[in-house]
Amino acid sequence: MRLLTIVLTATALVSPAAFGQSTNPATPAPGNPGGMPPGTTQAAPGVPAPHQTNQADRTFIRAAVTSGLAEVEFARLAEQRGANGSVKEFAHRMVSDHGAANDKLSALAKASGVPVPDQLDQEQKAMRAELEQSSGGQFDRAYIQGQIINHQQTAQLLTYQIGSGENAELKDFASDLLPTILTHLRIAQAIASEIAHQAQAEVPPKEIPRERR
Amino acid sequence: MAKYLKVAALLVGAGLIAAAALADPLPPDATYRPLPTLPLDAVKALDEAQKPQVMQRQHALLEQRYDLSNRPIANVLMSGGRKPVQGGVRVKLPAGATWDGLAAMSPDEIRERELLPAGFMPLPHVKQATGGQVFPNEQIDEIRRQEGRNIRRFDVDLDLPEQFTPEFPPPIFLTSHPELGDVSRGQLLTIKNYYQLMIGFITPVQMEGLRLLLTPFPQEEFNQTEDRKSADQSLGVSCLDCHSNFHTNAAIHQTPDVRPQAARFRLDTVSLRGMFNQQIHGSKRSLRSVEDFTQFEQRTAYFNGDHVSAQRKGVNLPDRVDQVPMMAQMQNIIDFPPAPKLDALARLDPSRATQQELAGEQIFLGKGQCAQCHVPQTSFLDNNMHDLKLERFYNVGQTVNGLVELPDGPIKTFTLRGIKDSPPYMHDGRLLTLADTVEFFNLVLGLKLTQQEKDSLVAYMLTL
Repeated sequence: MRLLTIVLTATALVSPAAFGQSTNPATPAPGNPGGMPPGTTQAAPGVPAPHQTNQADRTFIRAAVTSGLAEVEFARLAEQRGANGSVKEFAHRMVSDHGAANDKLSALAKASGVPVPDQLDQEQKAMRAELEQSSGGQFDRAYIQGQIINHQQTAQLLTYQIGSGENAELKDFASDLLPTILTHLRIAQAIASEIAHQAQAEVPPKEIPRERR
Repeated sequence: MAKYLKVAALLVGAGLIAAAALADPLPPDATYRPLPTLPLDAVKALDEAQKPQVMQRQHALLEQRYDLSNRPIANVLMSGGRKPVQGGVRVKLPAGATWDGLAAMSPDEIRERELLPAGFMPLPHVKQATGGQVFPNEQIDEIRRQEGRNIRRFDVDLDLPEQFTPEFPPPIFLTSHPELGDVSRGQLLTIKNYYQLMIGFITPVQMEGLRLLLTPFPQEEFNQTEDRKSADQSLGVSCLDCHSNFHTNAAIHQTPDVRPQAARFRLDTVSLRGMFNQQIHGSKRSLRSVEDFTQFEQRTAYFNGDHVSAQRKGVNLPDRVDQVPMMAQMQNIIDFPPAPKLDALARLDPSRATQQELAGEQIFLGKGQCAQCHVPQTSFLDNNMHDLKLERFYNVGQTVNGLVELPDGPIKTFTLRGIKDSPPYMHDGRLLTLADTVEFFNLVLGLKLTQQEKDSLVAYMLTL
């Protein structure tokens, strides 16, 4: 136990960016043992051995995998059907960022023996159908609005995993991905605003009738 | 006209399409507290075995962020006349940076180059995933001695070094008897001594309010169920277990107003001095009277904003019509400590103040912009919440010891009366000294203060 303490201390003290913005030690923060599933093998007291998952981990995998698949599919649609340049650029980034994240997540799930879904869920399929039938400005707006909502949900899902998961690799994955997701969200919000202003600019200013006294 | 309608319809239509096609909602335990999965003896054994590592991990984080040495300011004591006030800037700068250098950069540049000192960013709870109330050793020991009640947790202790906490037990000043000064007699008020100490000093309704404020009630970590962090089946905690003698003992918990768990920022205990002039309560909740706050704390600080868990563990809901006003009446007679250098208009009396203190007041009212929110005439607060937008200076979303660093959002203005008595500072206690707070606001508000101006501001704040 003492050796573990020394090792962890040493790891914490030599972590990069010691005085800069991130002081995150090499391992994820300890969880509440009250939530550990009975029969969990432990590397040290309260520290689950690798490749095990609790309910939060498995819920996270399921939701994050389908969300990631949807991201890439919708982004591919947007690369083809998007009208606005910013939308297509954003979509291109989603394909690469979420594609990379999907690969990592699938590998982690496999290492822990958790089966991953390979299809979108009902709502995502409906969204895909809608997007396939839209084009031009309408497509852009539907896509970007959907992206804002999806990234909001994903940010909360990652935060949930960081706090409630037990699998160290999945928690680290979530911690690493979250700043990127929040960046995506900011960009999507900016694009939505840009699109809305463009739409407004197309409309001639409406004359307000003078009040009759 | 037709085109306008068409565009408007498309905008609305797009919103509706997207809203209808959400993925599955997040799981329920992202909001509600899950039931424990292991029996208490197993949890206790694991928590106890983990505790040294947990404390070491948080201590390493504090060491990285702050200079934790014991460096009191000469000739300054807290209002009880026993404990020194720590001085100097303790937040550590990133390698190669200087305060003046940072002050000259834009927020964007600081963010891009990751130069915001880590000590300015949100401070994690000692054990973020578990959270809950954590008491300082002084409080634990004294409650044990007087009441035989044990408020030590088996999984965590408070992380703050003792020199950065308020004096203990804090003095008590009554608005109903300013002539008496500190009526605490150097003792911590508890359910065992409050009556003998206070009979003849307070009214019957105040006495009953005080009794209720000192009575322990079940709480998330201190209760009789298997979901607890106390070794014994606990009677619970009392309001004044954190607000010792109506002040603060630096006990911490987590905001009840945020989910999921990893996003919940840490909360330092506020002082209850001067409640009579405060119109919003709770750093984020903006409860509009101390009665509302007193009533609702049973749902929030006690049970993390989870009325479902509260119901299971035996929450005490004080009667709003009778008990709560009496508790409020007792809180409303607690005065700020004396500030002999301030006149009746909360301005420094030039015949009593030093040149440096007077210079500090001028900065406070002028270049420092402090008085914009910390208005002297209204107890150095403005009964408003403000968003300092610290996220201009750092990339949000990083995880630090289990806490996801998100924007703080609007937070209540805190009074500066008696401020030297209540380190650490900010809603989460991330700033250890008053000098740290000056550096913080210098950066956040872009003030470009000189060192002399910063020093005189600290000198001024020590007089409040």
